[in-house]
Amino acid sequence: MVNRFRNLSAAFALFGLLVACMQLTAVPVAAQEGHPLKGSWLGTWSGNKTLGNDVLIVMTWDGKNITGTINPGTDNIVIKSATLNPEGWLVHIEADAKDKAGAAITFTIDGKIENLPLASRAVSGTWKDNKGGTGAFRIGRQ
Amino acid sequence: MHLRVLRSVFVAAFVVASTPLAIAHHEPLAKFDDKKPVNLTGVVSLVDWRNPHVHVFMNVKSGAADGAVANWAIELESPIDLEESGWSHDTLHPGDRISVQGMAARNGSRQAWGKSVMLAATGRKILFASVAPPPLPLAPHPTPRWPEGQPRLGATAQGTQGYWAFPSATALVEAGVNAPMDAWGLLKSIADAPKVAPMQPWALKLYTERQQRFLQDDPMYLNCKPPGGPRQFQLSPGLQLVEDRGRQRIFVLIGSGNNNYRIIYTDGRSHQGQVGGDDENPLFYGRAVGKWDGDTLTIDTRGFNEDFWFTNGGLPHTDQLKLIEKLSRPNYDTLKYDLTVDDPGAYTRPWSASWTLRWVADREMARHLCQENRS
Repeated sequence: MVNRFRNLSAAFALFGLLVACMQLTAVPVAAQEGHPLKGSWLGTWSGNKTLGNDVLIVMTWDGKNITGTINPGTDNIVIKSATLNPEGWLVHIEADAKDKAGAAITFTIDGKIENLPLASRAVSGTWKDNKGGTGAFRIGRQ
Repeated sequence: MHLRVLRSVFVAAFVVASTPLAIAHHEPLAKFDDKKPVNLTGVVSLVDWRNPHVHVFMNVKSGAADGAVANWAIELESPIDLEESGWSHDTLHPGDRISVQGMAARNGSRQAWGKSVMLAATGRKILFASVAPPPLPLAPHPTPRWPEGQPRLGATAQGTQGYWAFPSATALVEAGVNAPMDAWGLLKSIADAPKVAPMQPWALKLYTERQQRFLQDDPMYLNCKPPGGPRQFQLSPGLQLVEDRGRQRIFVLIGSGNNNYRIIYTDGRSHQGQVGGDDENPLFYGRAVGKWDGDTLTIDTRGFNEDFWFTNGGLPHTDQLKLIEKLSRPNYDTLKYDLTVDDPGAYTRPWSASWTLRWVADREMARHLCQENRS
């Protein structure tokens, strides 16, 4: 009888832990129902030896142009041009930066918005630079 | 024995925890398919009389040789709408035999939206919502006025009740455009989407996709986001306008969403610095200043955030949105609402719309209280 009670208690404790874990994995994201690219985006551009794998992009929309910065506060790369093609929600971003030696380097990102209706939407695609670097690109809206 | 019980508890808990959030109060077509009619006859097993939608559960014989019974969930309008139509939690009981005509769930589950519920024994139609506007008086009553002559926008005397409801249009469409929609702003034909308003390409595509998903992503219903902008004047539960002349402001008390309020300042303050330390914070209701011009209150509102849908039907907006709303009360029973939308972030030019609301006299506004995911 005691063992059964202990088993029951342990099972309910385990169940509580399971529910708690499920709750913790549901990360809230601020809603953004306006222009789909506006906001802060955090993710990776895999294999980027110049700037590292992690990338943060902040973008805004003034009614005509998408503007923004890549890695504000560290690299401060101003986005030279960014476009969003609503047909397929295709994203194209270009930005000029400098590598560790101070030489000019141009990054180009091509991707597509995924999960558009959700606040936790993402842009997934590839990045490349003009020095042969390329890799997978993925950022999620914060 | 205990193991079997525990296993059931775990299975049930896992199913509940892993099931995607149910769509709460919603456009019925977001969840149900009007191209999938369903006719069911069976016995009521449970009546779940609560917001946001009443559910009647019924056991329906499958028609198979073994006489298997399946339990169906019939979703109906809210208790408030049903009660206003004369029904109560006591209208139907477990054991009653009923026939239901409706439309089946899009996801193939045993759920249906009940368009018609009939008592099988008598053929009497029950549990349908039929909320009609109050009849207009044969001779219109004159516009009620304050002693200074200004029209009164709310109740007319101490102790009287009333509110504005029954908007003549429940979705925002540019004036002069014919784009038929249902009461929730869902277009009858998606081909009409470009006509609704002069949208920029991204906004048109976003609007079209929201429509094609049957408005199921509407944050007002999913997450109880406030109905900012003109949407508060197009919701069926209505609103109250409370004029606080001493403090020179008008409160818009909203009968749905999350039952909050909007303030329209009439004391001459500017949009900036309305509330100390809050200049840069974009808001669901923006920053509104109102000014009387004869019998018309002109409201200039800016400073909206982008966290909500400002219309039924999902027209997009940006934080560049500016609204000019003109309120007038041409007679006792009518509120006229004229709107100009200026949002260069989402639209190619400013555009306008107008509609009227009806005065619902001597009644308290019902409280459709929204809770997260239970709106």
